[in-house]
Amino acid sequence: MTGRRADDLIRFTCKAMNCLIILFLLTPIAVTTLMAFDARDYLGPLPPPALSLRWFSAFFSDSYFLNGLITSVKLACLSVTISLFAGVATAYAVDRARFRGKEALVSFFLSPLVVPPVVTGFALLLFLSKIGVIDGFARLLCGHIIITVPYTIRATLASISGIDKSYTEAALILGANERHAFWDITLPLARTGIVSGAIFAFAVSMDDVAVSIMLTDAKTYTLPIALISSMRANFNLSIAAASVMLMAMTILLIVLLEKLVGLNRAIGQGTFR
Amino acid sequence: MQTSNEAVLTFDNVAKSFGGVHAVAGLSFSAVAGETLAILGPSGCGKTTTLRLIAGFEEPDIGTIAIGRESMIGKRPYERNVGLLFQHYALFPHMSVRENVAYGLKYRKWPKAEISSRVDEMLRLVQLEDFGGRRPQQLSGGQQQRVALARVLATKPKLVLLDEPLSALDAKLREELGAELKRILTEVGSTTIVVTHDQDEAMSLADRIIVMNRGGIDQQGSPSEIYSRPATRFVATFIGRSNWIGGTLKLNHSGGFANVVMESGTVLTTGNPGLGDEVAVKVGIRPERIAIVGTQEDDRMSGANQFPAMVVNAISMGAENHYHVICSAGTLMVVEPGGRGMSFSRGDRVKIGFRAEDCVLFPSRDAA
Repeated sequence: MTGRRADDLIRFTCKAMNCLIILFLLTPIAVTTLMAFDARDYLGPLPPPALSLRWFSAFFSDSYFLNGLITSVKLACLSVTISLFAGVATAYAVDRARFRGKEALVSFFLSPLVVPPVVTGFALLLFLSKIGVIDGFARLLCGHIIITVPYTIRATLASISGIDKSYTEAALILGANERHAFWDITLPLARTGIVSGAIFAFAVSMDDVAVSIMLTDAKTYTLPIALISSMRANFNLSIAAASVMLMAMTILLIVLLEKLVGLNRAIGQGTFR
Repeated sequence: MQTSNEAVLTFDNVAKSFGGVHAVAGLSFSAVAGETLAILGPSGCGKTTTLRLIAGFEEPDIGTIAIGRESMIGKRPYERNVGLLFQHYALFPHMSVRENVAYGLKYRKWPKAEISSRVDEMLRLVQLEDFGGRRPQQLSGGQQQRVALARVLATKPKLVLLDEPLSALDAKLREELGAELKRILTEVGSTTIVVTHDQDEAMSLADRIIVMNRGGIDQQGSPSEIYSRPATRFVATFIGRSNWIGGTLKLNHSGGFANVVMESGTVLTTGNPGLGDEVAVKVGIRPERIAIVGTQEDDRMSGANQFPAMVVNAISMGAENHYHVICSAGTLMVVEPGGRGMSFSRGDRVKIGFRAEDCVLFPSRDAA
């Protein structure tokens, strides 16, 4: 009898913990979202007496933010494209290769996930200035490739190594050479992994602060960097508006991922850190 | 059906090892045009390696493999004109049935119109004309197999390889599709190699069987030869069921027969296998070659070996009746055709008998 009561207590505690955690995760986001639509031009007590889109229009009329946004999007598109090629090529090679230390090599490719981003950023800054790369965008691009490539490798490798080898063998014995078999069989069958890797990589690139902050210069900076420095200089709620838009983008990507792959499968494959 | 005796596939002293372990060694055999040859053996006997060597997924360490008169050494799979029906079909899941069947033709640079008519022809051959637009996942196992076969045959390969073709199907379908497979292969007259661990599959499809064991060939011959005259103890145990009786061989030089004296003193009369006197042997006898009659009708019994016995177990399997009987030669399994009820039940006194010619003898030291 007491055993059963203890079980009930544990079950209740777990439920309560869950609720608390959800509350803890969602409250700041809810507050930020509410503030982004606040019509007042000062930080007043919640809830706001009236709603407006003034902070959104303030965001888009601020060339500092817009500049950051454009850089971020350009950077994300370019670095994800490069990471995608690198990721697919690496995953294909690793999947076919038979040698000792293969596991170690894969771990090495994924190491940017474990190395603290600040370290990556700082090391890259020192290295690039040593070899004379001082252009801000080039530096940021290098940094973002490093932080996004583990995602594309991991997701692509998971899906490529999941493809039954007999599909490729069937293509070969039917008369396709290795290149044909790659384009006809491997690539289409690995598509979901490649797409989910790209989406994660894009989100990581858009969101990064720690690496980018080391590599920015006065003219070239990403949106998250712009938000942070403007928060220090003159705090206003267009930052909240920007946060809401970043969130919207993330939700959009997750919905896209869910539609294409099924989020559970993407996470199950170990795409998340 | 082609009738020429030209070898389509020749293995000459082929060996292949993986990490120091021999998968096949000293393998030599050939397949002639139009025949269906089964390579039969348990898992690990080297039959899958043989298949992969023919397909070109593996290269032999030594020896030569030729298709027709052309050596295949150094040739990639796509340079061989060999068709392979995969065990699990390996139909491309992202392509329709038509695209699957057309795949090989595309890389043989056939004109579009000819590809289309060849695909129609193939789908007609396997009786799936109306399924061209479907995805493989939308078909049953049997239908998938027929699509895979159509894809293999579309390119008119010189040699068709079947990897355990019926194993992925359930028992009912297996018989039906086995017959269907045989019909289609005969219709196109292709030279076929079936690789399998399932003796029923080998017996039902093949004109000739090669039994492989530990990377080499134990016996080749027609299905009935292999069943009734196994060359090694391994073949005798692997193919079909046998009763095994241990004893010592005593050669007697009259009429080509020999005696085997068992530990209990019971004497069996057997054929003379060409072994030395006083050799320890195992005598194998197929359960359906043992006759079983009631004690009052024992005058019907013929054959050199006759023993009074008692039924210790009687099982009706429908088409067959299985008896376990105990006699002075030990406990033996006896099979007689069923369908008309059981002739005997547990505890019945009976008489069993078998002919000397139906016994096979191997030295006891031979591995089973």
